[in-house]
Amino acid sequence: MTTVVATCFLRNPDVVLREEDPEEGALLFNPDTNQVKVINTTGLFIWQQCGKARTLDEIIAEVKKGFDDVPAEQVAQDVQEFVDGMLASGFIGSLETKG
Amino acid sequence: MNDLKVMPAPRNVDIAITGKCNLACQYCFYADEMVARTNLPTERWLSFFDELGRLGVMRVCLTGGEVFTRPDLFELIDRIIANRMRYSLLSNGTMITEKTLAQFAIDKRRQRLDSIQISVDGSSADVHDLSRPKSFGRALRGLKLLKEAGFPVTVRVTVNRHNVDDLENVAHLLLDEVGLPSFSTNEAYACGATDRTEGNIILTQAQRKQAMEVLTLLAEKYDHRISATAGPLIQAQEMKTMDEMMARGLSSRTAGGYLSACGGVFNKIAVNHDGTIVPCHILSTLVLGTIDEDSLQEVWLNHPIMNSLRERMTTPLNTLSTCQDCSYQGFCTGGCPGGALYFNGDYNSRNPMDCYRVLKNEDPFFSLTDKPNSVDR
Repeated sequence: MTTVVATCFLRNPDVVLREEDPEEGALLFNPDTNQVKVINTTGLFIWQQCGKARTLDEIIAEVKKGFDDVPAEQVAQDVQEFVDGMLASGFIGSLETKG
Repeated sequence: MNDLKVMPAPRNVDIAITGKCNLACQYCFYADEMVARTNLPTERWLSFFDELGRLGVMRVCLTGGEVFTRPDLFELIDRIIANRMRYSLLSNGTMITEKTLAQFAIDKRRQRLDSIQISVDGSSADVHDLSRPKSFGRALRGLKLLKEAGFPVTVRVTVNRHNVDDLENVAHLLLDEVGLPSFSTNEAYACGATDRTEGNIILTQAQRKQAMEVLTLLAEKYDHRISATAGPLIQAQEMKTMDEMMARGLSSRTAGGYLSACGGVFNKIAVNHDGTIVPCHILSTLVLGTIDEDSLQEVWLNHPIMNSLRERMTTPLNTLSTCQDCSYQGFCTGGCPGGALYFNGDYNSRNPMDCYRVLKNEDPFFSLTDKPNSVDR
């Protein structure tokens, strides 16, 4: 019997990243759905983390390291919400590793 | 240049993929000397689309000429899709058949299609064919095929001397009979083939006024399913807004008082079918470079003409000799730079076709002969 060991998140390779104003964040464009998402610098950081498959815990840990002025609990909640939104709108996908 | 922010690459690129057309429309901006230029071969377009993909361009609009005259059209579309872009097509509609529609069913061709715009200039062949010869039946067939198959089809009606008395019938045809959700309008512009048709196609001042009134009434009748970003309908709407604001004692509106009408150079750029890069197809003689020879990003960011066009936004109208004593200055944005270049030889000037004083017959720019093209430019 196989069980899900971990869920990893990965960028949708069809999504376009446009860093129109790097100080403000970036814009993501999904040409398949015609959706545009404006993301702030933290969102851009998470997007960059999803360049390779990462679990939610790994992403949260990286954000905590990169943005140490934000309370840890807040980081976990914000990252979870951000990742959920990105997943629902198809900007990132999920992979399940099984053992 | 000053502190105007410019994105690292355009979001949109308008591309004339061919100079070839199966029609010879009376007002086509892409005519005569443009048609004489050579079409780029497939490979050069493919490599250009790869460059657009690397720059993160989001959308391309393919135009011509007639896009469906290119036998490699779908090969080009597939490379656009492979480079993570969406696309739209401008067409005269006459070459669209069931076979054409079947081509869109392959892979993501339909999914990535924003729109196909068909030109319809009359409610019958008697009117439409005067500006778009021998094409009404085939254009309408193409339009209906697209509509029935659920494609994102749009229609552009270019108001001109031949159809200005037919606008009500056109609205009835498109909105009631064909059942389109909406259509857009503009007007025959002073460039391209209008040079050869002299004053026979561009609206006279009296006809423009008529078109402004009729289109305003039709837009209300059809619950604003008729729209415009240029031409008589938007001119009427903007003039009404201005008159109402002036009646309330206001003397300006947002962005008024500057040559701020065109924001296109902040998010898009264009390419002619011979690969020359231009700011816009209406400014198709302002060559900025050539694809494959010049970096599009370099042209976009640093070409002096692009930056000069952007700086129009900061050019006060009170610095223009034509506008210094104008009481509408605070509401005016100078109009399309294409018309300004055509009539005055300088895009940093007012466009008389969009001038409130001209529209209100307070400036005799066009009124001596009532033929815009015959004035001394």
